[in-house]
Amino acid sequence: MGDAGAQRPGRLMRPGPLASLLWTGLRRNLAMTGAVIVTITICLAMLGAGLLLRAQVHTIDGFLLDQIEVVVDLSDAITPAERSALEAEMRRDPLIVGVRYETKKQVYERFRRDFRGSPDVVAGVGPEDLPAALRLTLADPRASRDIVVTYTGLDGVEAVRDQRALLDPLYRFLDAFTVGAFTLAAVQALASFALIYTMIRISAHARRRETAIMKLVGASNGTIRAPFVLESAVAGLAGGLLAAGVLVAAKIFLVDGQFARQTMFPLFGWAAVWESAVVVLAAGVLAAAVMASIALRRHLRV
Amino acid sequence: MIVLSSVSKWYPNGARPALIDVSAEIGAGEFVFLVGPSGSGKSTLLRLLLREERATGGRVIVAGRDVARIPDRRVPQLRRIVGCVFQDFRLLPNRTVAANVAFALDVVGRPRHVVRSVVPEVLELVGLGGKADRYPDELSGGEQQRVAIARAFVGRPRVLLADEPTGNLDPATSTEIMSLLDAVHRAGTTVIMATHNASLVDAMRRRVLELGDGALIRDEAGGRYDQTVPQPVAPSAPPPVVVPAQPTGTAPDGERSPWATPARSGPVG
Repeated sequence: MGDAGAQRPGRLMRPGPLASLLWTGLRRNLAMTGAVIVTITICLAMLGAGLLLRAQVHTIDGFLLDQIEVVVDLSDAITPAERSALEAEMRRDPLIVGVRYETKKQVYERFRRDFRGSPDVVAGVGPEDLPAALRLTLADPRASRDIVVTYTGLDGVEAVRDQRALLDPLYRFLDAFTVGAFTLAAVQALASFALIYTMIRISAHARRRETAIMKLVGASNGTIRAPFVLESAVAGLAGGLLAAGVLVAAKIFLVDGQFARQTMFPLFGWAAVWESAVVVLAAGVLAAAVMASIALRRHLRV
Repeated sequence: MIVLSSVSKWYPNGARPALIDVSAEIGAGEFVFLVGPSGSGKSTLLRLLLREERATGGRVIVAGRDVARIPDRRVPQLRRIVGCVFQDFRLLPNRTVAANVAFALDVVGRPRHVVRSVVPEVLELVGLGGKADRYPDELSGGEQQRVAIARAFVGRPRVLLADEPTGNLDPATSTEIMSLLDAVHRAGTTVIMATHNASLVDAMRRRVLELGDGALIRDEAGGRYDQTVPQPVAPSAPPPVVVPAQPTGTAPDGERSPWATPARSGPVG
């Protein structure tokens, strides 16, 4: 467009004036911005909680899968020949990589060790009460159910116990909480969108003189939209920081402070917390900016 | 600079067109009055030039570009070469005079040192050098319109559209604003001024485009507000109003306009 081409159309505002527009916008809309931040914080804290619960499942998996064995309790009546045949068959099984025999005495020792925290339980059980066992190490611990089916009911086998099955309630518990957290996060995300949508509408109304003048003097569409998108992104950033703080606090006070003493399982470490915090921050800023852009299509014609 | 060829504009639901078959050519550096009763299509014509509306028929060409065909993302570029002032000034009440003018440069991404040097100059030129830190509600109507003109002019547009800029002002102030616009024109800017102020038009004797019911019914060089009936100078004819009061610091006619003086200006626009 002639010599006016010296001013390129895509040029955006300098940071200074843009920040001043942003600041007046946030201040003018303080209550609304606060509501948006609170909603986003809850949403992102739930998202982070879901991510940490998943990290916990992985942590337990990683810890247990190495150790999980299938225990074949032998009946007291089993003959040495039957036992050798059974062991031989197991060694031929491709799903099984290790077979270890434990006598009744060894089983009792292990029992005393596992339940050392509960002397009452140990006191009621003698070495003769527990069956001798074959402990099977599996090529893939997740295939334990097949082993249970194969060896249950064979001669001399009293029971086949899958240790992983004992953990099913724990897994179900963790999964349920994960799904719950993600669901709540989704609901809060919808609420956040509704609030951001309203925030943009109010903001577009409050700024209508400014935007009219910006259009008039030839500000690019990006420049006109930037303060709105940034306003929302700042709320997203604030929500993300608060949510990250909640996650850190939960790790310090709940996980390390409370659960660590109450469980025999390892708990997720700081790496998982930082990972979730980064995801939560990025999601907060990006989602808020995208939500604002969508709302702008409706409320601001440029 | 501006070419209108058979321009028509129908608004949706409009019973009749806002503009019908308007053709005119306005050269670079011209000063044109746009007159006609309310509803005759003056504002529509200005909106077409700014691409706030698109013509439904014909072509509107500004600075060599077919305005209707400028892609949306290029429209800001058009608006940087077409400045605009309005009857109601449209200043931002929460910004000072200087900040209002600087805003027009800030939002198009001009560097800070440019803003800092140009804004005081332009305020000086419109006669508001001492009022840079005032807020609009502390100014008179005439002063507010000067701020609006400064804001429209600070980006050095090649065309300045003025939509009844004196509509809210008393006659003396109107005359001041008129001479300010005249100074902008003498600085090389094409000025199109829609007005109902007959005495200003009659005093200036510039080209007049008159619209009536959307049609161009007069295009007269050196015209008056009302159709000039060819007649000898009759004693009953109203004496032409001379534009007397120049704003402070403005040079009298014939001398170089203060708008043209700054060495910085170079090729305007």
